[in-house]
Amino acid sequence: MSLSGELFPASLLVILAVACLLDRHLVRACLAFIAFALLMALAWWRLDAPWLALVEAVLGALLTGMALFHGLGRLGGQSSLPSRDRERRPRRQVMARWPAALVWLALAGAAVWGVTGNGELAASAEVSRRPLLAAGLAIMALGLWAFAHHLHLLRRLLAFNVLGSGVFLLLAGLAGPVVEVQGLILVGLVVALVGSVLGAALLRRLYALDGRVTLGDGPKSIR
Amino acid sequence: MSASLDALLCVQTTVLWLALLAPSLLGLWAWRFPPQRMLPVLLAGLPLPLATLWLLHRVSVGGEFEGAWSPGGLLLHWRLDGLAGLLLLLTQLLLLASATYAVGHRRATTLAECAFAGFWPLLGGLAAALGLIWVAADLLILYAALELMGLCAVGMMLLPGKGEALVAGMRYLLYALVGSLAWLLGVALLLGSSGRLDLAGLAATTEPGPVTGIAMALLATGLLLKAAIFPLHGWLAPVHASAWPSVSALHGALVVKASFFILMQLWQRLMPEAVAAAWLLGLLGSLAVLWGGLQAWRASDLKQMVAWSTVGQLGYLMLAFPLLAGTSVAVATLAWQATWLQLAGHALAKAAMFMAAGNLVLSAGESRLTGLAGASRRLPLPLMTFGIAAVTLMGLPPSAGFTAKWLLLQAAILAGQWLWVAVLMAGTLLAAAYVFRVLRCAFVETAPCHEVRPLPAGMDLMALLLALGALGLGLGAEWPLALLREGGRP
Repeated sequence: MSLSGELFPASLLVILAVACLLDRHLVRACLAFIAFALLMALAWWRLDAPWLALVEAVLGALLTGMALFHGLGRLGGQSSLPSRDRERRPRRQVMARWPAALVWLALAGAAVWGVTGNGELAASAEVSRRPLLAAGLAIMALGLWAFAHHLHLLRRLLAFNVLGSGVFLLLAGLAGPVVEVQGLILVGLVVALVGSVLGAALLRRLYALDGRVTLGDGPKSIR
Repeated sequence: MSASLDALLCVQTTVLWLALLAPSLLGLWAWRFPPQRMLPVLLAGLPLPLATLWLLHRVSVGGEFEGAWSPGGLLLHWRLDGLAGLLLLLTQLLLLASATYAVGHRRATTLAECAFAGFWPLLGGLAAALGLIWVAADLLILYAALELMGLCAVGMMLLPGKGEALVAGMRYLLYALVGSLAWLLGVALLLGSSGRLDLAGLAATTEPGPVTGIAMALLATGLLLKAAIFPLHGWLAPVHASAWPSVSALHGALVVKASFFILMQLWQRLMPEAVAAAWLLGLLGSLAVLWGGLQAWRASDLKQMVAWSTVGQLGYLMLAFPLLAGTSVAVATLAWQATWLQLAGHALAKAAMFMAAGNLVLSAGESRLTGLAGASRRLPLPLMTFGIAAVTLMGLPPSAGFTAKWLLLQAAILAGQWLWVAVLMAGTLLAAAYVFRVLRCAFVETAPCHEVRPLPAGMDLMALLLALGALGLGLGAEWPLALLREGGRP
């Protein structure tokens, strides 16, 4: 694994995360997330963690994707949610969301710098993990911003999943694919799946009850 | 000689794991066959506290015991000391009371059949998660148990299935999930810098520095979010508004405390000398005491008042951080004992108060404070239970709340940290203000006499037993305090 060989998948991960988080067309965003999760599985495969890759593909891509499409109402014959997110946060609040993501990024970046900088001569395996670390940081910051910014509950669930993947990447990039890391990521994947399923089911119930797709801490939803 | 000791240790370990895992099996059983009467539930759960009492006896004789478990190359550590044993006992008693109360609740009102059946596996999962949190000595077990606890708690809050419950539950779910990611990032940094996950190994290899500081800040943020400590408490009160009393009781008594327990464990091992950060936590706790007390005083709904009082009472626990950081041994010992006594006393009293409030609301059919007018004549027993629980919250003698605050006061004066003395005084006055507001409404004699709905006697009895337990813990505090003196502090 060379440094340049790792750069391409890492940047593709970031691009897919951006596509997933910025697209207002919800079906396209969910598809982008599934592609993102499959690419994550590929990343675990390349880190010599085949079991983790399998779990990521099944739990992260397949089951979470199904949960998200269920939340949209595209599985089965129920009434489906509008496919475009028309919620907009007031301009005043929009500005306040940036500092949170930036503070988070600065803190995490400083800590990562501290952990990787003070080691002795970095081994070649560690150098090849650098792109993964950078991608993890970028994806984490994007996910946090999106989680704080979006109002639509499905997009917040997507943002949470992307944020979680960013943390997993950082975890693997910092400590390598040791068994402890794999255990932590495994638990994290299960938790993310259960959270997504619960959140999607709740979203459907809320939409069925009074047609809302937000928590109501922003402007009223448009039918 | 050593062979018999080994055999005893083996028996202890088996009993401990049986006591930890049995609740989830019972929960699955009750999912399939939902119980209809209170007595079978009580009898089925009673062996667990008895087993834990025996374990506590062994711990007080032979000291703490520990072990490790290795699935697939991982090494997962656990240990049982006096503190973990006491918390396990407390958890089992409260779970038993809550389960019994839930059966009574089902008999008194019409709950949806599937929601009531779904309560049991969630209760079992919550029991297993809490037990694991008390005995875990490893960040991986702690992470898994914390997440299991959070998801079970969200599920239990969603059981009523009404509109507001769903919105509050969704908000709780989102906060809990993001809190767990902050925690995971902190763990990632610790693992990256020291390569260990077990608490003892982390304590030995981690040196204070910027990386440890940032990791601890992230861990603390995640845990404070889950524990509803002052600026991060926004999700707590709405969640309790429409939850079942048996669920609210468990949540206010144990779930938020578990996050505090983990934070304390990590803090004591990773940065026990960080005075400035500890003072920051203490100040947050002080603000929580004042803000929670004020909001409880302003609340117009009985359950909201009890929920806000939880925010305030959790603040007292946070005062332990400045009193433990860089102070003398005498101060630290006093603060250590006071904190866990306050936690146990508040857990018992808050569970009793949620149940008594639930009884009042169910009987009177009215959840506003003004709707309780005349409750002193119509519903004397729930009101008395509420009053006894309030004695502990206010910290009047002879309750556990009084003993805990007395110890805390002594520690603060001995350390010369006068700010906390003022906070304790103000918090006590606020608690008295909001409790007497409820009692004043209840003692209005001119109210018209409405019909009250009769409740099963067991519901009142459970609440009363817990309230008396909180009172009795103040009188019989010697035994748990002796166990705490033995160990629990790393």
